Order: sequence, then structure tokens, then C-alpha cells
Amino acid sequence: MTDLIKPMAEFSVEGPLKSISFDIGSYNVVISESIVVQWIVMLILGIVFFILGRNLKVRSTSRRQMAAEYLVNFFNNMVRDTMGEKYRKYTPYIGGLFCFSILSSLMGLFGFRCPTSDLSVIAAWGITTFVLTLRNKLKTGGIKGYLKGFIEPMPFMLPFNIIGDIANPVSQTLRHFANILAGSVIGGLIYFALGQVANGLASIGIPAICSLYFDLFSAFIQAYIFCTLTMAYVSMAECGED
Amino acid sequence: MTDMLRIAEEAAAQATEQAKFSLVSIDLNTIVFTLINTLIIVLLYFFFLHKPVCKILDERAKTVNKDMDDAQKAKEEAAAVKADYEQRLETSKEEAARIVADATKKAQAREEEIISAANEEAASMKQRAEESIQREKKRAVNEIKEEISDMVVMAASKVAEKEINAQDNEKIIDSVLSQIGKEN
Repeated sequence: MTDLIKPMAEFSVEGPLKSISFDIGSYNVVISESIVVQWIVMLILGIVFFILGRNLKVRSTSRRQMAAEYLVNFFNNMVRDTMGEKYRKYTPYIGGLFCFSILSSLMGLFGFRCPTSDLSVIAAWGITTFVLTLRNKLKTGGIKGYLKGFIEPMPFMLPFNIIGDIANPVSQTLRHFANILAGSVIGGLIYFALGQVANGLASIGIPAICSLYFDLFSAFIQAYIFCTLTMAYVSMAECGED
Repeated sequence: MTDMLRIAEEAAAQATEQAKFSLVSIDLNTIVFTLINTLIIVLLYFFFLHKPVCKILDERAKTVNKDMDDAQKAKEEAAAVKADYEQRLETSKEEAARIVADATKKAQAREEEIISAANEEAASMKQRAEESIQREKKRAVNEIKEEISDMVVMAASKVAEKEINAQDNEKIIDSVLSQIGKEN
């Protein structure tokens, strides 16, 4: 009886590998799989950016330059529309983050573990958002304005305001991380389940359709959401002059 | 021996287990490395793609603006030239009309002059002709007078058969002739 309910095979989802470990003095540096995959992503992006951005002409009809201009204009417009003209200097960060995020998520398609399904990676970006938000608050309102913002509109709102400040980057971090991880898990489950049917022949074709949503679409939409939220949080962090 | 092998296997399995992070974990190393990597990606994006493309877009915008300005300038210049030419054309038309009017006036004056000169000429010619006719007439009359007087003298001398002195003759003839002249 127990044999009947015993699974034929086991499916498990594990965290990223500890790829490299070395000591600097007494501190043990552990480089995870996510970082190694990030290096691959960086290499690819570096080559792509370099190829796209070289030999540009004022009057050009080359597809390469059109692609480069489309990409840069996409980010320029995104930042300008969401944040406004005076936050244009954030464009490189948003552009770089978007490319980094989307390609990291897509690395799952090539059999790597997505760096974006590692909470630490997204947490780093969430921390960046928090720091940028804080910086903008201090810059526009000063320390006084920043502290005053916590007791507005009413002093009893203080705890909620503090929670709100922290909750924004945390929620955005968890959203991105969990979506990509869940996508990977569901994708893995589908592969696993179909692999049990008809000697694994069922896992040909069908997972590709699911992968279209869970990997391609999700990768794009999560990168977009994360960048849009970052822009919104940073630009909304403007403290009043009063 | 087998126990030791088992322990080693377990240790290896444990090591493999340890060589992974848990599914939901936050690791400081990963965060720091991710921050560094993100910064590098942002710099790559900025220096390789963003900066050159923005430069080109700016240059293109400048070129387009310049071209449009130039076109506008050229258009204005053309309009100015056109206005100038139109004005000149108008002026030359007026000039031409004036010249034609002048010429007509001059021609008319000349015509009148010529006609009056011709009239004068004709009048003077007529006068001269009349004078010459009068002169001829006088001369002819005088000639006839003389001839007649001669003939009369001859006839008279033949009639009188005698010589009369020239002074008397002339007196007689003059009286005769004046009588003839009155009759004429």
C-alpha cells in the first residue's frame, strides 16, 4: 500500500550553489552560482552594448544603429515619462538594471540557474532603490524635511511611515524574486511531471509553451515592473520645500 | 572499514548539502558582488551604449534644426528676391510705359514739326513760285511791251514814212501802252 503512494521520483528545488569559496584574512568569501551566472550575463551585455554602440553615424540606416537607438530611446522615454525631465540622470541605472534583470531571468532558458531567482541578488537591487530613495529625500528636503516626512500628515502615522519606507523596496524585491523563482519551479515541475509520462516523450514541446510565459514574458514583465517601481519610488520621494 | 566509508560518504553528502544556499536566503557576499556587478553593467551601458547614442541623437537633432533653419532662411531669401524682382518688374513696366509715352509725345511733336515745316516750305515755295511768276509775267509784259513798241514804231514809221525822234516816239508809245494796260 505504501508503495502505491510512494513517489516514483523526487522533485526538489534548491538554492544556488556555492561555486567558489576562499578566505581573505579571516573572512570567508563565498561566491554563489548567481554571481558566476551574473559574470556570464555581464560578458554578454558588455559585448552587445559594445557592438551596438560603436560606429554610429548621424545619418544612418543600419539595423544595428536602429536597434541601439531604439533601446536607448526606450529607456530615455521610460525614465522621462515616469520620473520627469529632471531625473534624466537615472537613465543609465534604469537601462543597465533593466538589461541586467531581463537577461539574468532569461539565463534560465540556457540551463543556468537564474540569478534573479536568488533573493540576495534582488535584495541588492532593492537596497539600491532604498538608498536612491533616501538620497533623493535628503537632497530635496534635507534631514529636517526627511524627518518631518515621518510625522505627516499626523504624528501618529510615524510607525506606518517607517514601515512604508521599508516595505516599498522589500515588496518590490520579493515580487521580482518570487515571480522568477516560482516560474522556475513551475517550469521544473512541468518538466518533471511530463518526464514521468510516456518515458519522457511528453516533455518535448509542451514545456516550451509554458516556458514562453514563465520565462520570456515573466522575465520581461518583472524587469519592467522592478524598474518602473524603482523610478516611481525615487521620483515620489521628493520632499516638499516647505 | 565499511563504517569509515559510510561516515565519509555521509560527510561528502553533507558537504554537498552545505555547498548550496537555502532557497530563500540572504547572503552578504552575493549582495556585495551583485552591487558591484550592477554598477559595472550600468557603467557598460552608459559608456558603450547610452553616451554614444545620445551624442548621435543630439547631433542629429542639431543637424535637423540647422537644416530647418537653413531652409527657412533660404525661403525668406527667396521671398525677398522675389519681392525685389517683382518690384523691379513693376518699375521697369512703368519705365517702359513712360518711355513709350515720351516717344509718342516726341513723335507727335516731331510730326507736327515736320508738318508745319512742310507747310512752311510749301507756303514759301508757293510764294517763291508766285513771285517768280509775277517776275516772269512782268518780264513778259515788258518784253511784249518792247516788242509791241518796236512794232508800233516800225509800223508808225512806216505809216508816217518819216523819222520821228526817239524821245517823241517813246512818249507816244507809253501813252498808247498805258491805254492798253488799262484796257487789260
